[in-house]
Amino acid sequence: MAAIPSDVYFNTISELSARLKAKEFKAEDLAHAFAERLAQLGPRYNALALPLTQEARRKGKAVDQDIKNDRWRSPLQGIPYGAKDLLAYKGQPTTWGAKPYAGQVFDFNATVIDKLDAAGAALTGKLAMVELAGGGGYRFASASLTGPGLNPWDRTRWSGGSSSGPAAAVAAGLVTFALGSETSGSIVTPASYCGVTGLRPTYGLVSRHGAMALSWTLDKIGPMARSAEDCGRILQAIAGGDGKDPGSAGTSFYYAPQYARPLKELKVGYAPVDFADRAEESARPAFQAALSALKETGVTLVETKLPPFPYGPILSTILAAEQASNFEQLINSGKVDQLIDAVQIAGLKASLELPARDYLKAVRLRRLIQEEFRKLFTQVDVLLAPGRPGPASKLEQALDRAGFQPPAGTPPGLQGIIQAGNLAGLPALVLPCGLADSLPVALQVVGAPFTENLLLGIGREFQTRTDWHKRRPPEL
Amino acid sequence: MKLTRRQLAAAISGAAIAQAQTPQPSAAPPDELEAARGRLKANSDLLAQQDVPAATEPAFRFQA
Repeated sequence: MAAIPSDVYFNTISELSARLKAKEFKAEDLAHAFAERLAQLGPRYNALALPLTQEARRKGKAVDQDIKNDRWRSPLQGIPYGAKDLLAYKGQPTTWGAKPYAGQVFDFNATVIDKLDAAGAALTGKLAMVELAGGGGYRFASASLTGPGLNPWDRTRWSGGSSSGPAAAVAAGLVTFALGSETSGSIVTPASYCGVTGLRPTYGLVSRHGAMALSWTLDKIGPMARSAEDCGRILQAIAGGDGKDPGSAGTSFYYAPQYARPLKELKVGYAPVDFADRAEESARPAFQAALSALKETGVTLVETKLPPFPYGPILSTILAAEQASNFEQLINSGKVDQLIDAVQIAGLKASLELPARDYLKAVRLRRLIQEEFRKLFTQVDVLLAPGRPGPASKLEQALDRAGFQPPAGTPPGLQGIIQAGNLAGLPALVLPCGLADSLPVALQVVGAPFTENLLLGIGREFQTRTDWHKRRPPEL
Repeated sequence: MKLTRRQLAAAISGAAIAQAQTPQPSAAPPDELEAARGRLKANSDLLAQQDVPAATEPAFRFQA
């Protein structure tokens, strides 16, 4: 194998693509180097579920043949990536991060895997996740078949969940991008904690065929990468209608932020308290600086509030009902007891007892939430809040106990925006925006359905004015 | 089947090692299950306080 320069591991998609086009190195060598690095360093962060070194080399070789024939399929051609281990990959284990499914093998690929294959991207490995994407709730970061997700910025901290492996692998330069999934915070949280750019697409924009079903009406698949620009290119490749996904919106996505409205015309809804008293003290300087950087783009910041709903209980009720149906056999067979986290086991068992009236009340309230958000987006173009109130939690911290609490009487700000955004099916872009206690913190920009180009345009402009998305963990 | 004492000791120690190597299921203790039920009940009580107009249909889609 020819030597690959070590700076490739933190290149963006467009940088790597340019180097492949310039024939600086072969795609096969690049895929092999990334796959070896993932296999070697992935376990250091408990980020690796399954190495796919041989498959990656084969794909790289095919890409080299394409390049030789001057055939360019997409900007992702020859780019190494990883996929959360809830996406089916033909003939190889797909564990869903859980012991009862450790030997599960599908005979087909998830639609997103096929789409990336057609685009020429090279899958170098399956990436770790919280068991069953944490639907039943979980107390500790250790709730995963591969152990607790360790943060590349500080291995005594959690990488976030449930897309723990995808976020850690991108942050550590083990893959150029990764696919994660979100039902309620599973892209936003790990992207924020690991300092990578993450995109939760509009519900239905990306096919979930071949992905573990946790909650049919909430699940989304989205990219985690080095920049908003990269997220746009990946979304273009994976979005689109799919008859195999009953929730598919039947809509394509073409990455064209240049056609989005000028930033000077945009009203950004936010609550100042989210960047002050509702944020951890160590993170406030970073959040304030990020607000200033965003203002410099020309957008108008407008104080706003979320429509008043109990978002958490509504989302939890819908999730509990749908996961109970999805995992009924696991629960009734007793195999649920093989899971690691006692809270997860109990949550799944209890969910079987959820009354139908509660589920129906929750999905009727969800209709009202969607209507209220439609109205809100006539007043502001996007919503802005911290990705999380502070940096990654310590590994030993109980996740089902209240962490940071603002002073009593603090206004709610946009509290519940993760649950609200997921209930309304809204897209969100996570942008690294600084360090707190030497750990990354991030912004989230949330838009109306199918406004990904608007979010990506804001993200691209923010990332031309800041370099937080380019920062690397100290040991890397 | 007769076993010598040595064979019996080997069989027992092998079984013990196999048992030690098998991760024991971490079944949720009863109080965790009660706590989970309590969370669902608390959610249910909160939902019950929410008024929903009679004409509001559930937000899920069915295509015939």
